[in-house]
Amino acid sequence: MKKDLHLVGFRVGRETFGVPIAMVREIVRVPEITAVPNAPDHVEGVINLRGKIVPVVDLRRRFGQPEVQKSKTNRILVVDLADKIVGLIVHSASEVLKIPAADMEAPDTLLQENQNNFVIGVGKLHGRLILLLDLNKVLQRGELNGLNGLEQPALAKA
Amino acid sequence: MTFFSEERAAELREVFFESSQEILQGLNECGLALEKHADDPAILRRVRRALHTLKGDAAACGYLDMSKLAHDLEDAFSAELPAGKTGALAELVLTAADTFHAMLSAYRENILPPPSEAVRACLQQYLGQHPGQHPAQHSAPHSAQHPGGGPSTLPPAEHSASRGAQFGWSEYEQMMIEEAVARGEAVYNVALEIVPDSPLRAAALQLVRNVLHACGSILALRPDDNVVVEDVKVIEAAVASSRSRDWIEQKCAIPSVVSAILIEKIEDSEMKIVESGQAHLVPQAVPPSSVAALHTVENSLRVDTARIDAVMNLVGELIIGKSALQQIVSEFEKRLPRDPLRSRFVDALAFQSRVLGDLQKSVMKIRMVPVEQLFRRFPRVVRDVAKSCGKDVALTVSGQQTDLDKSILDALAEPMAHLVRNAVGHGIEPSEERIAAGKPARGMVRLKAYHQGNQVVIEVGDDGRGIDSASLLSKAIERGIITREEAARLSPAESLNLVFQPGLSTASQVTEISGRGVGMDVVRTALEHMKGSVRIESKPGVGTTFLLMVPLTLASIQALLFRAGDQLYAVPLTMVLEITRATEDEIHRVDNREVLRLRDQVLTVVRLDRLARTRPVAVARRLYVVVVAVADRKFALLVDRMVGEEELVMKSLDGCLFDAEMVSGASILGDGTVVLILNLPAVTARLGKAQPLEATA
Repeated sequence: MKKDLHLVGFRVGRETFGVPIAMVREIVRVPEITAVPNAPDHVEGVINLRGKIVPVVDLRRRFGQPEVQKSKTNRILVVDLADKIVGLIVHSASEVLKIPAADMEAPDTLLQENQNNFVIGVGKLHGRLILLLDLNKVLQRGELNGLNGLEQPALAKA
Repeated sequence: MTFFSEERAAELREVFFESSQEILQGLNECGLALEKHADDPAILRRVRRALHTLKGDAAACGYLDMSKLAHDLEDAFSAELPAGKTGALAELVLTAADTFHAMLSAYRENILPPPSEAVRACLQQYLGQHPGQHPAQHSAPHSAQHPGGGPSTLPPAEHSASRGAQFGWSEYEQMMIEEAVARGEAVYNVALEIVPDSPLRAAALQLVRNVLHACGSILALRPDDNVVVEDVKVIEAAVASSRSRDWIEQKCAIPSVVSAILIEKIEDSEMKIVESGQAHLVPQAVPPSSVAALHTVENSLRVDTARIDAVMNLVGELIIGKSALQQIVSEFEKRLPRDPLRSRFVDALAFQSRVLGDLQKSVMKIRMVPVEQLFRRFPRVVRDVAKSCGKDVALTVSGQQTDLDKSILDALAEPMAHLVRNAVGHGIEPSEERIAAGKPARGMVRLKAYHQGNQVVIEVGDDGRGIDSASLLSKAIERGIITREEAARLSPAESLNLVFQPGLSTASQVTEISGRGVGMDVVRTALEHMKGSVRIESKPGVGTTFLLMVPLTLASIQALLFRAGDQLYAVPLTMVLEITRATEDEIHRVDNREVLRLRDQVLTVVRLDRLARTRPVAVARRLYVVVVAVADRKFALLVDRMVGEEELVMKSLDGCLFDAEMVSGASILGDGTVVLILNLPAVTARLGKAQPLEATA
């Protein structure tokens, strides 16, 4: 009997995604973002997180979705990634989700191809679909060639 | 050692790596000193002490190879030193230092240590010249054996000749003996040969030791009490005893265990000679500084630099916090100017910022080390290079006490070694040429450090032939680095800077000019990396001086803040030459490049608004121009608005996921805004040639 998965749920576009709660440091409102010259497209810039400088990635742009208008519900998910701290701008962050491990399925192969394997699981909760993200892959694959230090695929923590 | 926990052992090893660096440095210095005063007993003493410490420390960390090598060397040095074996001895010490160094780096990386053949060959060679020695002994596996055969094989006539080799006491033991003699005690060197086929060897050895202990107080014993060595043939001891020599001899004659006995009294007079020799050497060879050094060792504490950095970072955050508080207070003043709390607020803040300032200074001071630490390694470099190219070069050093941030010091080591090697190898002419030019035959390389404003300048100078800028220019044109027209426009200083061009950097290309330029671009890159700069002064026939200018510390910088294309940026103030204004009309296009004419100079324009994906600066209005110097070239940065000058606490962007080549760091202002510190060399390299063009020289 497996335990429940504890996920932080958040929305990007119309979908709800989840990342393991252990990876999430905190969720903050979007402060002023300083753009970094010559940075990759999806890197929005850096923010001051109580004296720490943290790079911020726009997940909306990362998923190839049209940039959603900035709104008050936008949040930054600060996550720990292989000894680095990264902020993710999401449409809105919702709640902590408890999903029984039994309700988590491997994604459809079709989905895998479409999504570059970002999605490593699909969970059902109260009739909603939650896409479980592998953040290492999100920040590593595709055109994210500017990434440093994440070349060796770290084991997915989920 | 086995009874330490693994963690404890690792810690011990770390300490060993740290401390051994100093010991090796000391060995290097001794080697150099030996070249000048070969038979100075004070220096030999230092060598022996260093070897002894290394031996013990290495053994404690489980590095047996190293311990053994140190042991063998110590043996060689403990022996009576022959007169006139000067060169070999210095060479031996220096080779040994190198070998230990290589071993240490290997241990540190957890790989197998390199073979120690070179030093052993040196040792053999040295011992080969030494009549009283038996070199073969030294290649034997680890044992406490000492050169010289068993006592029974030695006729009395040979005693004095072999005595030194036989009783190879360590520095410490020798000291004990000397002290005992000075106290007026009779000290005997006792050597007992053990019967080789004695049945209970371990018990026999113990018996012998017990007898020796009974004779008096044992000052030194080989093999040591707790060493169980299977093939011990001879037991040696230094015994301070009130008994007569005959009594000891009688006592030691244990039938079927001891086959031969040798006892000699350590003469008072013999020691006296050593002592008096030492006495008059002390002030000269062991200057008072070493006494002072002894004191500092006692009062100092080795701390991992990472820990200091952590404190430094915290102080940096406090400073950010302080400026935030200051902003709040000034807001408070504006809103409630009559509030009685206001003045208390201001007072408390003033107090806090004063303490914080002191704290910052103290922490900075922890990181500061005198440049002497860096300069110390160059006598060796100069000697080696001079020797390999057959030149006579002296090194003078001044300003060693100038303090510099440890990390900058470390980063300077490589480029400086480069410059020093170049100065000796290429800058200084061979003696004949120097004499022909009316200069002293001995070349001179100078290292000098001094403060200049917020910077430290380190000079590496030589009195050699200087750089021939004319041939450098023609070489650069030949290599296609600059065009003939460009060459004509270069000032003498600018043409000297061509040595920093990577294209001119291999020896074969430049040897006939001066040889300079070997990896010179590396030197410049290294300095730019630490936000410093390098300048050359050279006069043909008189010499060349490189001036390395580095900031006092990397932790915080004085920076100029400005806005460009809606973004806030900062550049190190040390790179800013001037700030002026210009209109778009004054910017011209020449050679596909945008240039700005400022008085009599033509500057390449860098439009910083191109850095970000923002709208360009509106045209045809008056712009601010920040003139910066990057590697002796001047650039005009076009910016929208000046913000001010501020001391910024640097935070690196290393933790970020992307390659931020254009930015060398970031900082947080009092109001929480993040400001990016531009990496000017990269920015000007990219934006200075925004329009495609063929050369940017």
